[in-house]
Amino acid sequence: MVALARKTLIYEWRRFLPAMLAVGFAGLLQLLQLALVLGIFGSTSVYITGSSADVWVGYPGTQNVGSGRTIDPDVESRILMDPAVQRVEPYDWVDGDWRGPHETGGISVFVSGIDPSPEGLMFSKALSPSLRARLAEPDAVIVDRSVLGQLGVNIGETATINGHQVTVVGISSGLRALGGVNVLTSLATARQLDGDPSDNGPTYLVAKLHDPEQADAVAARLRGDTAFGPYTTWSARDFARLSVRYWMFDTGAGAGVLFLAGIVFLVGAVITSQTLIAAVNGSMREYATLNALGVGVAALRRVVLEQAFWVGALGLLGAGLLGVLLMLLAHSQDVPVVLNVPAALACIILVMGLAAVSGLAAMRSLRRADPATLLR
Amino acid sequence: MTHPAAASQPATPPALQAIGISKAFLSGKLHTQVLEDFSLRIEAGELTLISGPSGCGKSTLLAILSGLQKVDGGRVLALGSELGQLDLRALERFRLQHTGFVFQGFNLFPALSAFEQVELPLNHMGLSRDEARARARRSLEEVGMAPRMKLRPSELSGGEKQRVAIARALAKEPELLFADEPTSALDAANGQMIIDILHRIAHTHGTTVLCVSHDPRVVVHADRVLAMEDGRILSDRRTHVPTNDSKVT
Ligand SMILES: Nc1ncnc2c1ncn2[C@@H]1O[C@H](COP(=O)(O)OP(=O)(O)OP(=O)(O)O)[C@@H](O)[C@H]1O
Ligand SMILES: [Mg+2]
Repeated sequence: MVALARKTLIYEWRRFLPAMLAVGFAGLLQLLQLALVLGIFGSTSVYITGSSADVWVGYPGTQNVGSGRTIDPDVESRILMDPAVQRVEPYDWVDGDWRGPHETGGISVFVSGIDPSPEGLMFSKALSPSLRARLAEPDAVIVDRSVLGQLGVNIGETATINGHQVTVVGISSGLRALGGVNVLTSLATARQLDGDPSDNGPTYLVAKLHDPEQADAVAARLRGDTAFGPYTTWSARDFARLSVRYWMFDTGAGAGVLFLAGIVFLVGAVITSQTLIAAVNGSMREYATLNALGVGVAALRRVVLEQAFWVGALGLLGAGLLGVLLMLLAHSQDVPVVLNVPAALACIILVMGLAAVSGLAAMRSLRRADPATLLR
Repeated sequence: MTHPAAASQPATPPALQAIGISKAFLSGKLHTQVLEDFSLRIEAGELTLISGPSGCGKSTLLAILSGLQKVDGGRVLALGSELGQLDLRALERFRLQHTGFVFQGFNLFPALSAFEQVELPLNHMGLSRDEARARARRSLEEVGMAPRMKLRPSELSGGEKQRVAIARALAKEPELLFADEPTSALDAANGQMIIDILHRIAHTHGTTVLCVSHDPRVVVHADRVLAMEDGRILSDRRTHVPTNDSKVT
């Protein structure tokens, strides 16, 4: 079988280049957009994903980590009673107003009060044991590398949060927050920073299970007991999802992503289909001759579709290579980018769908390959 | 040397037959009646030439007889099948099995070598790969293009391209070969070579070759020359005795 589609693509690559570039850029834009969104919104659940707790306990109706309310401290004993639970610790969230040593104005910070002991669950994946141990000192805080400039501090310097003096004892990385700055401190210090006297319990209780696989079952089991005042439970995975979903959809960011994806698809499809149509038109007389010789229109359509497929595949390859390079660059610059399998798959589907739609559009122009026009 | 066609009607069935066909084009308000109550028989195994002034309907007639265009009225019989009764798919299948075409433009794919141009349509005929390649090679040899069969159209002269186009039609081993002005884009020597090839195809393969041309050199080689004007056959003469028909004297 003579590989007409591929040979034409190779021989007349210049003709197909605009389509490949359009497909490639559409794929790349989509990929980076998704990676950025996942990176940024993924950071809203870093409190959960950066910790080794399997079950979270918090105020009912909480939609994301930052909007929790205090629960009764006695819930802790209720949780500990469950035989599946290995360890429980409180986690305090305090909204603070940061005043740095230099001229930075007031900055809104999210103070995380965590258990600084070596077996502490909160941020166990984000903090090294030695860094965590430094929080045991009174009024010690850890801030993220990415916000040092914003906070106007460096290690060893002091600042105030809610009018209370704190000292920066360490610098973490990968703990960016959305709409504010994360500050890590011990539970004891966090309580002192909390200006609200009505807060007399932890914002969350986090629990580690003997068997993490049972998180869903245990969370369900612990829920619905009202003897200690209102509280509810989530498995860590569910709570992280809840948090990301809140940011994606309740902030309109998700709609923005979908809108941009639609625009990218449309623009890519227009350019790609126009290029493919031009390529088909350029070979119209040859296609018509084949049809005169009895090669069916269906077979000619397959040639055009195959070309669209290769254009899509090559565009995707280019986008993939460039995308990996740009992601590496972003990582080196502390830009939050994350790519997971579903997102990569979504990009591939978008790009190949774009190529397919363009191929179908180009196929339609084959109808003009009427061999009678060759006889004039 | 020339005989009136009516006096030497052969007993064998014609390869092509038009019976009272009519064809008109309507472009905007302009109505052009190209053919009206037109009848014609084309005998098998001959090189028949249609000549006539521009716009008299030669190409239209060729398109109708080859099943590329529908008639408004009348019947067209090709190899015994009535073309008007075949749908688009059946017409494609008929053309695939029975017809070859040579056009004024060579219409070769720029990306393919001469050999691949010839092999491509054969792939669609259900031939095995080896058979398709053997046929492609044979027909390129027949038009003298075997030494240059690895070259692309951009590396071939006009005459060579037309020989590849003929090989492409010939490799299908069609009973009917249609050619519309096959020499008009070529110089004298190349045109002559194309005519020789078409003539040889008719006589060695028994192919019915129907050729439209202004070229006076074709007239000399044709078995039968039809002069057409305004949608009618003005004269119909045989230039020499067809070699495969002993009844004609
Ligand atoms: N698709 C069409 N639409 C409208 N008119 C047409 C069409 N095809 C042919 N005609 C008209 O039909 C007439 C015959 O055309 P045809 O192509 O058969 O002429 P021809 O004898 O082949 O001429 P030439 O020697 O210049 O090639 C012309 O007047 C032409 O304008
Ligand atoms: Mg013509």
